[in-house]
Amino acid sequence: MLLTLSSIFLCGIVVTYVANADNYREKYTDIRSDWDSLDKKLKAKTNEANEYIKEKQQTEDKLRSEIASLKATAGKLDGDLRDVERERASLLAQVESWTSITKDFYTTNDKQGTLLNNTLDELKRVQAEQIKQRKELNETTAQLVEKMAVVEQLQADNRRLLEERTELQAKLNSFLWPAGEAVAEAVPVTPEKIKVSPVGPTTRQISLKGLVTDVDMENSLVEISIGSADGVKEGMKFYITRGDEFICDILIYDVESEKAVGLLDLVSKQPKAGDNVSTNL
Amino acid sequence: MSPDGPGNGGKTTALSNLYTVILALALGVVVATAVFVTYKCYFQYDTVFKIP
Repeated sequence: MLLTLSSIFLCGIVVTYVANADNYREKYTDIRSDWDSLDKKLKAKTNEANEYIKEKQQTEDKLRSEIASLKATAGKLDGDLRDVERERASLLAQVESWTSITKDFYTTNDKQGTLLNNTLDELKRVQAEQIKQRKELNETTAQLVEKMAVVEQLQADNRRLLEERTELQAKLNSFLWPAGEAVAEAVPVTPEKIKVSPVGPTTRQISLKGLVTDVDMENSLVEISIGSADGVKEGMKFYITRGDEFICDILIYDVESEKAVGLLDLVSKQPKAGDNVSTNL
Repeated sequence: MSPDGPGNGGKTTALSNLYTVILALALGVVVATAVFVTYKCYFQYDTVFKIP
């Protein structure tokens, strides 16, 4: 009896245990499915991460290549910048050179203008003097014509007096010859005038010779090796020759003690240092 | 279950039907328990004796 009840009791315990036991297979399946899904998600995320890393690597490589290209471009632009700066400095130097040349040109132009004004004043003065001399020449010519008329009148009187003297001598001789005498040669009381002889030339040749020391064709200027110590004066005209060949003329406008500077004129060939300079050809 | 049972020879008879009912009930409980356990094992693990 006791054994029977015990078996029933044990069966109840077994049934209770089995009824309340957990379904580990179902839990395993759930966990396995969760594991599989998580594994798939992990693989997907890993793939995404790998793709992202690959894409980032490609982007990094691309950026590195672009950086290298930009560095090369920057180097090239730096070189170009240095070239442009050098060219700019060269152009500035040229501008300064041209500015100084322009200033010199303006200075020379002013000097030439002053010289031209002085020359025009001199020309006016010479023209006035020429007009005055022409007037005096006309007056002198009129006086000469008048005096020539007087001289002709005097010559006619002289011839008439000579004829009268000859006639009187003939008459007197006709009276004296019977007495054996004759009329002596008349001695004039008034002494004869000394004939006027022409004087020598009133001008003298200035013979200055030198050499060309420097030539500035841009401003048409020439520097010569002789100056005021040798007798060079402003306004003098020199001839530049090379051997027997005429090169050009120069008109002196600035004189120093040992050198002088003149403007080129009648340029047939370009002068150079060493050419001969003289006041006479 | 008496001391004077089958040792004396003769026809054996049950002392009480109550004990038979209890034995039948216990047998039924054991069988039902085995069936229940078998059912649970089969439908939860797809096998009765193997370890999955």
